[in-house]
Amino acid sequence: MPAPFDTPFMQRALVEALLLAGLAGVLGSWIVLRRFAFFTHGVGTAAFPGLVVAGPAGVAPQLTALGAALVYAGGVEWLARTRRVASDAATGLMLVAALAIGVVLASDVFASGAGVDRLLFGSLIGLRDRDLWLTAAALGGALALELTLRRAWLARGFDPTTARALGVRVALADRALLLAVAVAAVVALDAVGALLVTAVLVIPAATVRLVAPSVPSLQLGTAALAAVESVTGLWLAYELNIGPGPAIAVLGGGVFAAVVAVTR
Amino acid sequence: MLGWLLDPFSGPLMQRALAEVIVVALACGPLGVWVLLYRQSYAAESISHAMLPGLVVAALAGAPLLLGATGGVLVAAAAIALAGRDERLGGDVGVAVAISALFGLGALLALSPDVPARLGELLFGDLLGVTGGDVAQAGALAAGVVAALALAHRRLALSAFDRAAAPSLGARPARWELALLALLAVCTVAAVRGLGNLLVVALIIAPAAAALNLAPRLPAALALSALLAALAGVLGLLASYRLNIAAGAAVALAAVGLFLASLMRPATARPRRRPVRS
Amino acid sequence: MSVRVHDLAGGYTAEVITGVAFDLEPGTICAVLGPNGGGKTTLFRALLGELPLRRGTVSLPARPAYVPQTDRTRLDFPVSALDVVLMGAYGRTPAWRRVARADRDAARATLERVGLGDRARRRFGALSGGQRQRVLIARALLQDSPVILLDEPLSGVDAASATRIEALFGELRDEGRVLLVATHDVEQARRWDRVVCLHGRQIAFGPPDETLTTDVLTRTYGGELVVLPGGERAIAVEHHRH
Repeated sequence: MPAPFDTPFMQRALVEALLLAGLAGVLGSWIVLRRFAFFTHGVGTAAFPGLVVAGPAGVAPQLTALGAALVYAGGVEWLARTRRVASDAATGLMLVAALAIGVVLASDVFASGAGVDRLLFGSLIGLRDRDLWLTAAALGGALALELTLRRAWLARGFDPTTARALGVRVALADRALLLAVAVAAVVALDAVGALLVTAVLVIPAATVRLVAPSVPSLQLGTAALAAVESVTGLWLAYELNIGPGPAIAVLGGGVFAAVVAVTR
Repeated sequence: MLGWLLDPFSGPLMQRALAEVIVVALACGPLGVWVLLYRQSYAAESISHAMLPGLVVAALAGAPLLLGATGGVLVAAAAIALAGRDERLGGDVGVAVAISALFGLGALLALSPDVPARLGELLFGDLLGVTGGDVAQAGALAAGVVAALALAHRRLALSAFDRAAAPSLGARPARWELALLALLAVCTVAAVRGLGNLLVVALIIAPAAAALNLAPRLPAALALSALLAALAGVLGLLASYRLNIAAGAAVALAAVGLFLASLMRPATARPRRRPVRS
Repeated sequence: MSVRVHDLAGGYTAEVITGVAFDLEPGTICAVLGPNGGGKTTLFRALLGELPLRRGTVSLPARPAYVPQTDRTRLDFPVSALDVVLMGAYGRTPAWRRVARADRDAARATLERVGLGDRARRRFGALSGGQRQRVLIARALLQDSPVILLDEPLSGVDAASATRIEALFGELRDEGRVLLVATHDVEQARRWDRVVCLHGRQIAFGPPDETLTTDVLTRTYGGELVVLPGGERAIAVEHHRH
């Protein structure tokens, strides 16, 4: 393997990147088709306080992150039900609260800001085999859901009212999709950080969406583009000595802008 | 008891922080009411996230943060406007891409140099590090925002309340929606030094949401929002001092806390039944 | 002081309305009949100066006051009924001045006139549909324009409010104003002074008893007509469009 991928930690990062590219292909396409981009970003951000407490608690960060994300989602839903605040404001409030709580907790947990940077923007080192297995499991689960629920997801996205009439169990299918997206965001956290899960889960899919004529081509194209962008991003992050998240985001953004310009 | 409240603010550092947060709150509060009435919370978040590269460039170049913030919001607004216009993806997705890419660029620029920029302060604010000059700048911007809101008040109300009839009543909605976004940008620039670009939105949205829950009419909501925002600033600084936690985060949490407290008041929408007067 | 429209054609991308021509003397209530999408709201936009005109002229004594359909307003807005009526005076109040005392008094008086004087402080969103409609009409009255455009002011309004509103129309007509009322109710149209039938292009204009023949109605509504026993009485059936 060429440098820098000849070191074990970079090899793990590489495997993680490829697995995440698979998730981007399967779920990222639906995120873009069904317009869940802000939800995805929200889950990642909301997971931040969970990540902060994982170390001291001695628990897998994915677990606390998912817990924090569920609290966030529940909070948004509860606020919406009170009807005292609009849903976009509710989301904004919950997210900023999550960030502030994370900052407050982090000042106890981390001596320097570097620890927080890692949580917010991802890290090349520190990936354990357990993390890779969890990501692989998430990908497997996503593929299973895709095979069973894709018709429901497509019908709901295309025409919500008639989907119900066609006897498709849309509400349940959508909940499953949102849960799958949340899990995907959570397993992406260690690689790209809490604030940039969209870099791998949304940006490649949005780029390919501009040119893909069908859902399968969208998914395959996204997986391929995400793989290229993530691996290149890893290399760039290594060279610049930063977290992978910003590198992948900038690369992805550049490719997106180029495709937009070319296809206009 | 009074000593416990006032002691933290006896030194110049805390006094400056207090001045900064109150001045910023007086603008963010009323502006936030309009942001909520126009349903522009996403815009508020988007602008503040995507302005990061501007802040970082200013920090690395040693330029005034105000300059970087202004440049940052201009670029952010332009990118978001362009991205949102592309119909192929649907507004949300394009905007999310633009925000993530810009935010990522900011982080990349901040973290890669040998002497990295103090990213934590840019993201979460440096309320305790504001200088007298910072307070003066924030004050000038905030005063501008408040004056503009006062002058534009009726037009903003017309366009938000009844978009269809607004032109016939004297206000073209598109113009005032744009004006609001411009004021939002200015207010963000004013507040970013103290709260950081990730937490600014707390002071814009939370006090306003609380005020709209508590005040039955618009002028009262605007005034109450300013008051609650200032209160959040004071409470946040107190908590920061007493509990030894980050000041910006404390202010943000105080603001959200005030909003949650406002939910305890029962909804005002239900009309009370009154006996018919004969 | 009359409203004159001549050979009007306009629309945003395509021509939505064409061949519109009518003259309305002061002190006239004119119904605007037509199916959904037939151009009623577009005609109002043209009269308000919000529509690009392809052809033709519009001559108005002053900018019209406009009462759009109620479901367009925000019900969660922190405003009282009186606040909404006061919006009618915003256009003539410079940004740096408070709303004039005279306007405030006029707003209260107008609210009384529509029968909602005791609801002045009530939150707008808490009022019934018919009450909200009356508040919006009061707002238009405060603008004190000689021309008033009303878009389906009686749809979804309770009977008591509807009677009150129709009586108010008569008063306004007697004051010498011109009212243009978009409506689906052919029966209502027969009670007024003039009627314009629109289905993209203008089908007819004139006094209702001359103009509202079965033939005209069929051409206006394209066969969505139900003729009740009795021959001349017809009710237009509203179609839901997707």
